[in-house]
Amino acid sequence: MAELSPIRIFRGLESRKRFRSGGFFLKAGLLVLFLFAPFLFPSFKSIDLVMRIVIFATLVASFDILLGYTGIISFGHGMFFGIGAYSMGFLLSKYGSPTYLNMFLAFFIAVFVSILLALVISFLSLRVKAIFFAMITLALAEFSLILAMKLSRLSGGEDGISISLPGLFKVSSNFGHVLHLDITGRIAAYYFILLCCLILFLMMLRFTQSPFGRVLQSIRDNVQRAEALGYSTFIFQTVSITFGCIVAAIVGGLYAVWVGYINPESCLSTSIVLDILIMVIIGGMGTLYGGIIGAAFLQIAQTFLPDLQKLSQHLFPQASLLHTAMERWLLIFGILFILVVFFFPRGVLGSIQDYMMRRKAGKTLESG
Amino acid sequence: MFQAAMKKHKQKVTLIGAVLLLLLPLVAIQPKVYLTLTIAGFAMGMLIFLVASGLSIIFGLLDVLNFAHGACFAWGAYVGFTTLNSLMDWVTSTSLVQNIAAFLIAVLAAFVAVAVLGILIERVIVRRVYGLHLFQILILFGTTIVLEELIRIVWGPNDEVMPVPFNFVGNWDIMDIIVLRYPIIAILIGVLVYGVTQFVLKKTRIGLIVRAGVENRDMVQAMGHNISLLFTSVFAVGAGLAALGGLAMALFSLQVYPGMGSQYLIFAFIVVIIGGLGSVTGSLVGALLVGLSYNYVAYLLPPAAVGVNILIMFVILLIKPTGLFAPGK
Repeated sequence: MAELSPIRIFRGLESRKRFRSGGFFLKAGLLVLFLFAPFLFPSFKSIDLVMRIVIFATLVASFDILLGYTGIISFGHGMFFGIGAYSMGFLLSKYGSPTYLNMFLAFFIAVFVSILLALVISFLSLRVKAIFFAMITLALAEFSLILAMKLSRLSGGEDGISISLPGLFKVSSNFGHVLHLDITGRIAAYYFILLCCLILFLMMLRFTQSPFGRVLQSIRDNVQRAEALGYSTFIFQTVSITFGCIVAAIVGGLYAVWVGYINPESCLSTSIVLDILIMVIIGGMGTLYGGIIGAAFLQIAQTFLPDLQKLSQHLFPQASLLHTAMERWLLIFGILFILVVFFFPRGVLGSIQDYMMRRKAGKTLESG
Repeated sequence: MFQAAMKKHKQKVTLIGAVLLLLLPLVAIQPKVYLTLTIAGFAMGMLIFLVASGLSIIFGLLDVLNFAHGACFAWGAYVGFTTLNSLMDWVTSTSLVQNIAAFLIAVLAAFVAVAVLGILIERVIVRRVYGLHLFQILILFGTTIVLEELIRIVWGPNDEVMPVPFNFVGNWDIMDIIVLRYPIIAILIGVLVYGVTQFVLKKTRIGLIVRAGVENRDMVQAMGHNISLLFTSVFAVGAGLAALGGLAMALFSLQVYPGMGSQYLIFAFIVVIIGGLGSVTGSLVGALLVGLSYNYVAYLLPPAAVGVNILIMFVILLIKPTGLFAPGK
């Protein structure tokens, strides 16, 4: 038998422990929670919240492939998300009819368009400097927003597009009761989207933990060394960016299916990238799972902020400064964002991972 | 032979090419409209140049892409807005001297206020992340959010009408051609700022150090110059230029709104990519190119106006990825 390299031995140990570690139970528990969420919280608002968390967690993870694993900031991630959403809107409603074939076709077209666009942007910007990527994607994102607003005859303009869904996912369809819960088209759509997001998430996990993903991380950490080892950084970065953008486009399509209504403001504006950035920074760059924490935090915060505002007005009617701050909650998130980048650059999950690592290292030192 | 001739007459060829390019829209646009559009394009170009030049110098010297530049732009516009509002008597008076005085005070206030803001940003935020591009962008993006939200808190979230000095409004009638006054003033401001920056950069000792720093930062530090002070002051001046651009742009478009910075930042990005990051002349050429093409296309085919700028940027990236006037590094 050939001698095992240290990394192989390490991975062998890892994979043997895989199903016994605390992290595994946590992930399994989370999945069970998402699976039974409609039964646990049957109100429309809470199902919508859970679904948004799932969708945005997947979107943030795809952004993390660019930011955390490739070391590239894209301000055009919202644009790819919008491409997916709009191709769904075009094919199911504006220029097509709500059939399953069209739904599949919409995903296909979204993927195709985003591959083309991602390749063009990468070819143009990565040749020079990685920061050009941020600038070019910002310009393109703004352009796509302007196009969607101005070409209102083609895109529906600011009025947006209402999407009608094929039979199974229609709001009106009903498949009877299970455990006091009406299995409507919404629930069917919930499980469909959950399944898709799960598959996408597993794909991303596989992608980052593959040998390819490890090369990517080495490029992110030290470009010169990776190049000296003979890896073409340009190709690796391009492939990874394209992959991230494809996932974003598919998630955009899923979002359109769930929300049933798209407009430039909700699908193409820079506020999406803003949300994604806050989520990924709070959750932790380069962790993928951090996206779930970040998405849950921001979505829950945004859902309950109006209630919180009312509460604060009720409790402290005199504190006008507090009310202004509550109204401009983005200011608080902005400050939080800067503080997290400064003091916890690895985010919540990254910091926890670091802490666990240090504790483990301390233990081995004590016992050894 | 041909190449040698090309090299010899390179400047002339470029100039003729530029003039021909400038006249190209005449094919589709009537001469009178063309003239109006050209002046508007030059004015817009000059205003974008004010933003882009600061961005470019800051990047050239500090190796920082100032994402908060748009916020500085908006802050400049709002400080100028407040100053002009408080000098309402002078703004509405018919006396040219009082108009100009009000304008100059607004310029000074905007420049100084935002330069101080720039010093704060550099000392508190940017200083900690030198050399880390990723974190710079993230943190300056966060700064932009905070600064824009502060504008919304201080001045309110809505659009406001910008007060314009009385004599700046209206037009001159030269030989039956109506020329708006303010665009001409904007062009003059741009030319003045370009002249001053060129003078400072090329003829003074500080300019020499800055130019040397753009070429090789470590060497300048090794020669014993206080690079930290230099960084702060260049950042402050760059932010001040953005503020000047914001004020001038607000007077041009007659309004201020909190999100104005992000919008013009995108133009500035396109300009510095076209002109080459780190070059002031490149910023000027890029800005004029963007301003002119934007106005011509906006007249012919409105939705494509930003598209043509992006198209130019892509073409430049294809044929000369470092930009037209990239400083040698």
